Amino acid sequence: MQRVIEPSAESRWESLARAAASGETSEDAELRREFVTFRLGEDAYALPIERVREVVRLRPITPVPRVPSAVRGVISLRGEVVQVIDLRGRLGMVTAPAARTSRIIVLHGDDGAVAGLLVDLVRDVLRISEDEIRPCAGNEADVVHSLLADGTEFVSLLDVDRVLAFDE
Amino acid sequence: MAARRNTPSRRSKAHREFISEAEEILERMRDGLSDLADQQTSSGEADPELINQLFRSAHSLKGLSGMFGLDALGELAHHLEDVLDRVRLGRAGLDAAAVGLLDESVSLVALTLEKVESGTQDELLDRVADVIGRIDAWARSPEPTTECAEVELDPAMLRALTEYEEHRLQENVRRGRRIQLVEASFDILAFEEGLAELTVAVREVGEVLSTLPSPGEGAESQIRFSLLVATDIPPEDLEARLEIPGASVREATRAGGVAAAADPTAARASDSNVEPSLDAAPELVSLKSISDTVRVDIRKLDELMNLVGELVVQRGALARIARELQALPETARLAADLDKVHKGFERKLQDLQSGVLETRMVPLRQVFEKLSRVVRRLRRDTEKEVRLELCGADTELDKLIVEELVDPLMHVVRNAFDHAIEASEERAAAGKPAEGCIRLEACQRGNDVVIICSDDGRGIDPSVVRARAIERGIVSENTLLAEREVLDLIFAPGLTTRTEVTETSGRGVGMDVVRANITALGGLVEVQSELERGTTITMTLPITLAIIQALIVSVADQQFAIPLNSVRETLLVEPGEIQRSEGRELLNLRGEALPLRRLRREFGLGGEDQSGTGKQYSVVLGLGDTRVGLLVDRLEGQQDTVIKPIQGPIRSIRGIAGATELGDAGAVLVLDVAALVEDGLRGGGLA
Repeated sequence: MQRVIEPSAESRWESLARAAASGETSEDAELRREFVTFRLGEDAYALPIERVREVVRLRPITPVPRVPSAVRGVISLRGEVVQVIDLRGRLGMVTAPAARTSRIIVLHGDDGAVAGLLVDLVRDVLRISEDEIRPCAGNEADVVHSLLADGTEFVSLLDVDRVLAFDE
Repeated sequence: MAARRNTPSRRSKAHREFISEAEEILERMRDGLSDLADQQTSSGEADPELINQLFRSAHSLKGLSGMFGLDALGELAHHLEDVLDRVRLGRAGLDAAAVGLLDESVSLVALTLEKVESGTQDELLDRVADVIGRIDAWARSPEPTTECAEVELDPAMLRALTEYEEHRLQENVRRGRRIQLVEASFDILAFEEGLAELTVAVREVGEVLSTLPSPGEGAESQIRFSLLVATDIPPEDLEARLEIPGASVREATRAGGVAAAADPTAARASDSNVEPSLDAAPELVSLKSISDTVRVDIRKLDELMNLVGELVVQRGALARIARELQALPETARLAADLDKVHKGFERKLQDLQSGVLETRMVPLRQVFEKLSRVVRRLRRDTEKEVRLELCGADTELDKLIVEELVDPLMHVVRNAFDHAIEASEERAAAGKPAEGCIRLEACQRGNDVVIICSDDGRGIDPSVVRARAIERGIVSENTLLAEREVLDLIFAPGLTTRTEVTETSGRGVGMDVVRANITALGGLVEVQSELERGTTITMTLPITLAIIQALIVSVADQQFAIPLNSVRETLLVEPGEIQRSEGRELLNLRGEALPLRRLRREFGLGGEDQSGTGKQYSVVLGLGDTRVGLLVDRLEGQQDTVIKPIQGPIRSIRGIAGATELGDAGAVLVLDVAALVEDGLRGGGLA
C-alpha cells in the first residue's frame, strides 16, 4: 500500500509528484479516487470529482418563490439558469452571510441536470486510495455516508444524490 | 417550464409507440404487396402509384428504425427502399426475383418487430444479412437499356419535375399517350377541395404526372395550377369531362419548347409519337430534379433559435448603451449614429427571428393522422361505431409543442371514445344516430392555438364526479362548488368515474396528466359538458415557446418577466377601486368582474403592497377568453427574452415558467401565466 498523505509539512502536490517520480504502478493509481474538498464553517467536506462540473465565484442569486428554504435561488451561468442550494441550510446548519471566499460548486446532477452548492470556502483536490475511505454510522437519510482520512483530519464525504433529493 | 425528461417510463412508452407505428407501416406494406401480386397476375402491369406507396412506406420504416437505434431493421428497410426506388424509377423491372425479395424482406421485418418486443431481435441478424446480400446481388444486375423518349416541354416545367415524375413522363410518352397541360384557377381559401376534385376527375381517364402552381395573371384571391397529365383522349374531350369552370386543357407536346432528352447517351426512341425536334442538334436541358424542401434536424433549429435569442439579448444591451451614451453631451453625436445603426440591426434581427421561428412551425396534420389511425384501431378492437372528424389540420405550431401534444391529445380522444360515446343501443334509445362522433378542431386565435375535442356522447354527470371526488377525499362533503368547478375536478389526480379499468383508459391517471402536460407547455385546458348531449374539452396553447417579448414588472424590489403574448392590458389601480366579494378581490373592468391576484402575496414576498404612492398596477393576463388581473408594484418596461428552463433538483415551480437573463441583473424569473390564471380562477391561493 502506498502511503499517499503525509500528516503535515509536505503539501499534497509534492507527495503526488514524489509518488509519480518513484514510478508508481498503474495498478496503484486505479485504487485512488479524487475529491473536491471544501469548508462549511469549521467543518470539512468532500465531493467526488466526477460530479463537480466547475467552481465559480459568488454572483447575484435571484430568489425563487415556493421552493424549500435551502434553495437560495438561481444564478445565470453562461446562458444557463441553475438553482443554487445553500449547503449549510441543507445540512441543517445555521446559515451565514456570504464571505469573500464563498463559492458555488456546480454539480452534474442525476440525469444531466445541473445544480449549484453554496459553500464557504473551497480547498483543493484530495487524492486518496479506497481503503482510506471509512464508512460512518448514520441513518438512511444522512447525506454523509463516509469519512475520508485526510492526514489527521476526517473529511465528510457527501452523497450528492442525497443532497439533491428534495422530497416534494 | 420543466426541462424535458427521459425517464424510463417515457422511454418504454416511446418504444411501444415505435412498435405500433412500425406495425401500421408493415400492415400497409403487406396490403400493398398483396395488391401488387393481384395486379401482376391479372394485367402484368404494376400500378405506379402502388409502387410509390410501398416505396414511401419502406422509407418511413427506415427513418423510424433509425430513430430507435434498430440498425439491422433500418438496414433492411433501406435495402427494401432501394429495390422499390429502382422499380419506380424504371431502373429495374418488377421481375419475379424482385417480387420474391420484397415478400421475403417484409416477412423478415414482421418477424423482427415481434422479436423487438422481447428484445431478442439480434437473433435474426444472420437472416437479415443474408437478405441484404441477395438484394445487393439483384441490384448489381445491369439496368435494362431504357429507350429514351423525346418530349417537348417548356424547360422551366421540365426542371421542376422530380426524378420520379420525369420517369413517369418518359414512360407515358413511350407508351404513346398524349401529354397535356390542364390549367385551372381556384379560390385561395378553398383550393384544396377544388384541386382534389380536379385530380380525381383527371385520374379517371389518365395519370397525373405533376401538379405545379403556376404564376400568371389571375384574380388576387385566386391561385392557378398546372397539371401535367398523360391520357389517351384528346384535349377537347378532357376539358369537357372536367366540368370545372375556367379550366383549360392543351396539348403539352405542341408547346413549341426546346426538346429535351432524359439521358444524353441513350438511343432515340423510334416508335414515339412525339413530333421531331425543330433543331437538328437539340439543346439538352438538364432534367436534374430540384427538390424544394429540405429535411432539417430539429436540434439544428433549436441551436439556431438559441443563437438568435442570444443575439436578441445582445441587441438589448446595445440599445441600452446607445441610450446612455446619448445622455452624455460629448458622445451624443456618435451615439445618434450608433442608434441609427442599432435600429437597422433591430429590424433585420426581427426578420431573422421570424424566419427561424417559421422554420420550426409544423402543421398539426401528422398528429391528426396519427389520431385517425388510433380511432380506426379502437373501432376495430371494440366494434364501437364512432367516427372522428378532423378540422384545421393545417394549423401550425412550434414543432416542440406539437411533439408534446401527441400524448395528451391521444388520451383525450381515447377518453372520449371509451367513456363518452355510448354503445349503439344506448344511443338509439336516446334518439341519437348510431354512430358516435368525436370532433377535433384546431384553429389559431390571435397568439394562441385552440384545439377543441368535442363529442356527442353521454356527457359528464356532475353529481357522479362530485361523489367520486368526495369518496377519494379530493373535496369534502361540505364544500360548495359551482358546476364549472365540479367539472374541473375531472383533472384531479386519482379520480376516475369508471368502475373497471380498461386497457385504453380508466386508471384515473389520465386527465390530470393531460392538464399537467398542457400547462407545462404554457397552455390551458377547460371542460364543458351537457348531460346526454356531449362533452367539449378545450386546449389553448401559445404558438411558440422560443423568443418572446416580455413585460418586466417589479414586486418587492424583485423583477419578474411576463410573456407579452398573454398580457391583454395594464391598468393603474387606486386602492379604493378594489372590491371584495366572498373572500376574493375584484376589479370592475368595464362592467366585468376581474379577479385579482397580488403577486406579492402569491409568492410570499412579504411586506405590504407599496410603490410609494399607494397605487399599484394591474397586469391583466388573458388566456383564451379568461382574464385575471395581477397586482404588481411597478411596470419596468418591455424586453425581448429567451425563456430558459431552470435547472436543478426542484423539478417544477408552480407559477414559474423559466427564467431569462436581463443585462447584468442576472436571472429574472418568467411567470407561468397559465398557472397564475388557473389559480386566479380557483380563487384559493396556493401556499
